[in-house]
Amino acid sequence: MSGADRGAWRLVARRDFWVRLRERSFLISTLLNVGVISILVLARGASAGGDPRFQLGVVGSPAVVGIGNDAAALGEASKVTVDIVPLSAAQADQALQDGSVDAVLSEGQIVGLHEVDGTLLALVQTSAHAAAVADVFARHDVPQSERDAAAREAPLDELALDPRSPRQTADAGVAFIGVLLLYGQLFGYGTWVATGVIEEKASRVVEMLLSAIRPKQLLAGKIVGIGVLGLCQLAVIGGFAITLAALTGAIDNPVAAIRPALLVFGWFVLGFAFYASLFAAAGSLVSRMEELQNVIVPINLTILVSFIISIGALQDPNSTLSIAASILPISAALAMPVRIVVGAATPPQIVLSLALLIGSTILLVPVGARLYAGAILRTGARVKLRDAWRAT
Amino acid sequence: MLELIDLHRRFGDVVALDGVTFEVPEGRIVGFVGRNGAGKTTAMRISLGVLQADAGQVRWRGAPIDTSVRRRFGYMPEERGLYPKMRVLEQLIYLARLRGTPKDLARTRTIDLLATLEVVGAPTDRIESLSLGNQQRVQLAAALVHAPELLVLDEPFSGLDPVGVDVLADVLRREARQGGVAVVFSSHQLELVERLCDEVVLIDHGKIAARGTIDELHASRARDLWRVDVRGGDGAWWDVVPGVRAVSTDDGVVVLDLASSADPQRVLDVAREVGDVVSFGAVRLTLAELFREVVA
Repeated sequence: MSGADRGAWRLVARRDFWVRLRERSFLISTLLNVGVISILVLARGASAGGDPRFQLGVVGSPAVVGIGNDAAALGEASKVTVDIVPLSAAQADQALQDGSVDAVLSEGQIVGLHEVDGTLLALVQTSAHAAAVADVFARHDVPQSERDAAAREAPLDELALDPRSPRQTADAGVAFIGVLLLYGQLFGYGTWVATGVIEEKASRVVEMLLSAIRPKQLLAGKIVGIGVLGLCQLAVIGGFAITLAALTGAIDNPVAAIRPALLVFGWFVLGFAFYASLFAAAGSLVSRMEELQNVIVPINLTILVSFIISIGALQDPNSTLSIAASILPISAALAMPVRIVVGAATPPQIVLSLALLIGSTILLVPVGARLYAGAILRTGARVKLRDAWRAT
Repeated sequence: MLELIDLHRRFGDVVALDGVTFEVPEGRIVGFVGRNGAGKTTAMRISLGVLQADAGQVRWRGAPIDTSVRRRFGYMPEERGLYPKMRVLEQLIYLARLRGTPKDLARTRTIDLLATLEVVGAPTDRIESLSLGNQQRVQLAAALVHAPELLVLDEPFSGLDPVGVDVLADVLRREARQGGVAVVFSSHQLELVERLCDEVVLIDHGKIAARGTIDELHASRARDLWRVDVRGGDGAWWDVVPGVRAVSTDDGVVVLDLASSADPQRVLDVAREVGDVVSFGAVRLTLAELFREVVA
């Protein structure tokens, strides 16, 4: 084998990479991904980003204002900001209606538009309760030392049996974005492999190509070229998402987001390697683009079901289904990274999952390649799997 | 020299090739003729390795063919195929590079070929935007762009206008005479094959029915043939002369095969009795007539 012969797959890969890169659908899918990710990141920034802040309207006596101020002081300790907005009784309803205040505190009641936020209610209730207690103390001439002792009463220690670390909570969001991206890339780029195969078959250029190079070189080049493009797109989208998240304060530490990003990269490579030769083999069975969907449905469904299970694994990463899905090769590329990011996967599970996925890919690629080689030059009616298998 | 040795190939119950053997020497142009479905395309596809033979083998310069050898062949498939959305220049360079031609050389050769083959349009045009005739010329360029040692062209002249036919004929002659390239092409344009080819291989029902130079084909069928154009000659008027058989008839023009016992003058007399004889003369069969006779 000469040098040029060995390099044939690289020429194929380069062509597929550049041709797809210049396609409008690539631009559209990049923009769509960037758009969806932006919405997710910004939504996260709005809900989780920054500490909660409330506008509390107060109506009435200085005592009511005092309770409001106490609630604000109390909130400060737990990083909740409460801004006090003095209102007249006449203004109160309007202020609630137009959303300039979250709740209105008056003598003996607190009013919200639909409801009162639990955190705000708790702060105000506590302050009102403290004021009432202070009032009682005052009326009974309780000595200052006893009042101080009562006020010093230590608050309850908050403990949790299985505490969620702040990182874990943040990572569930990152894992969701990650698995969404992975699903989109595996589905989209796998379909592109099948499309590329059918294009070459439909335009008959494949006979020109295969008079020059071997089917395996053509197949390898196509998978590598399209796969590398998928990785590049992931890098662009990932870089954009992390930058945006850092700028909007949706994540505190952009460096920490690189780890899940690299996980998505790695699992895309593994998952794409697993599925791509199947997509190519499926594509090689038919000669017309209209038949694309018929042949790739089984593969697409597998990826879709894996995706749905992986979303479930975000909530319940240690259910039997989640664990099984993260270890079985057909779904591991989507389910395992989710369980790794939320911190549920154990090292033995990860090692087993990797071993099975890589092992089955090594077994599967020659099968896909053989079906592809057997079917690619048979134009016309859909080639039966058995015929494709026996053809070479 | 390309050697096809005893090739057999079936498609289900259909026997496409039934022991096909012939050679294509370097520097020669071989015409590959036969009726539709006779096995021409199958034999060509097997030569290029895009189809496997059930039995037999193909050799180039005495050795079996592998991918690195095949990369030095030029091929024009029966089913034309290029990337429709790829630009002409880009596409031809790509195909040349797949066959191991360095990039710069591929570019130079592509530009030369587009000029030689008189492809209308810019090198940056997409294939799908070209007329069919121009696409055909680009397809020819794709077979030639890597300076092949062997050209296997399936119906290269179909779809070309007369100017295109002349251009391609010149290119093939030059490749064979000056480049020493072995050329084999299939065609139904037998006048063209007769004019252009050094040798002809005639395939019929998967078997080689005749092969050799045009002269050799004639010699193998050495006969006393006379063409008679007689106005008003109805039916098989020649039957009255013993030892005379019609080889072909075409609108009053009949080619007669005379046994050694038959006298041409007697045939002429009979012809003059049935109508006005416009022409009467000894003939050398055209390839088309030989073809009809062989496959009849």
